[in-house]
Amino acid sequence: MQPFAIFWHKQTVILERALNCLITNGKVDISVLNGKTIGFSLQDLPLEMYFVCANSRIFVLPATDKLTDVDVKLKSMVFISLLQGEDLTELLRQDKINIHGDVKTAQLLVDLLKEVDIDAEEMVSKYTGDIIASQLGKLTKKFNPADTQSNNPLEIIKDGLTALLINPIKSELYKHKNS
Amino acid sequence: MENTTYFGFKQVATDDKQSLVRDVFNSVASKYDLMNDVLSFGAHRLWKRYTVASSNVKVGDKVLDIAGGTGDLAIEFRKKVGNNGQVILSDINATMLNEGRKNLTNKGIFGVEFVQLNAQHLPFNSNTFDCVSIAFGLRNVTDKNQALKEMYRILKSGGCLLILEFSTTDSALLKKLYDFYSFNIMPRLGGIIADDEASYQYLAESIRKHPNQETLKDMVLNADFDFCEYHNLSGGIVALHKGIKV
Repeated sequence: MQPFAIFWHKQTVILERALNCLITNGKVDISVLNGKTIGFSLQDLPLEMYFVCANSRIFVLPATDKLTDVDVKLKSMVFISLLQGEDLTELLRQDKINIHGDVKTAQLLVDLLKEVDIDAEEMVSKYTGDIIASQLGKLTKKFNPADTQSNNPLEIIKDGLTALLINPIKSELYKHKNS
Repeated sequence: MENTTYFGFKQVATDDKQSLVRDVFNSVASKYDLMNDVLSFGAHRLWKRYTVASSNVKVGDKVLDIAGGTGDLAIEFRKKVGNNGQVILSDINATMLNEGRKNLTNKGIFGVEFVQLNAQHLPFNSNTFDCVSIAFGLRNVTDKNQALKEMYRILKSGGCLLILEFSTTDSALLKKLYDFYSFNIMPRLGGIIADDEASYQYLAESIRKHPNQETLKDMVLNADFDFCEYHNLSGGIVALHKGIKV
């Protein structure tokens, strides 16, 4: 796997955890999405991900050969503006987003992504190389398991070691070692 | 040779593999955790934590851990599903299952059920579990395709299969180091610590005979899973495959 593919794969794992954290905490209802597969891709960059909704949870995949129920395609700058609060309907009216399938389903997905507070600029800049990827973005900050699930120092150390092994860029230990 | 299969590098009669694997685990059961810690430098615990973190399991879910051995995954799943959920720790080997029971009791983990079973014939109704996991166990299963089909059958719609297993690294340098470690150091450590060099020779050989990432992904998809992706850990020495039944 290429370094960027690895980075992107990890982003999907983190996004999946964050989305399901929202669902578990009852902040969003995804029953409308049940059984649906939604493709989401940026037209100007080789970035795509797939959201599989079933059993009251969401799986986020970096790739699939399966047919999707809804496809959302947009440019990276539109993606950023969308997550910064731009109205989906307005962007659709301006032909800045291409949706194949049910627009309401796409709207619900966008609402979910907004809730997660993705740092889209950093996500995109990792590919374009504008910013050194010293961390995986604000996405992880909001749902850091060490912050949300435990104050136990041992658990925090274990999580830190897990991060170092699985995802060195995200790890505080790595950052300290390289600063 | 239709009725043969691999036991490490050796070809053996298919019917014999199960008992040969049983002998290996009977022999290493009491030192299993210690050996895992020594041989992987503790990394196996991190791989397992990552597996549970990737599971999408939530409060109230039903989870089956196959080849669960000493219960590392079951302990973490138990914390996730809470009192309304259900975690079943299973293993084909009674000695390993007893080690798991002792381990959980010693750690004060209660509410986990124990079932001795063969992964090829799972004694559960269809569409029962939210998650099925198997960590470092699939390579010991004689008919992996049959086991994967069974795992698919007992999962609910929206259920998730997690396979944590040794795999293949892309890095030529890492592969050289890993091969040297596996075939020269691991069996010797097994001899010194667990007084069983042969079992750890089998471990190294069985890892090399296990399907690589892409092959295993195809096997999962062929077992009718709608989606399968994998994530390499530690440079591909280990891979986590995640199958989803929609």
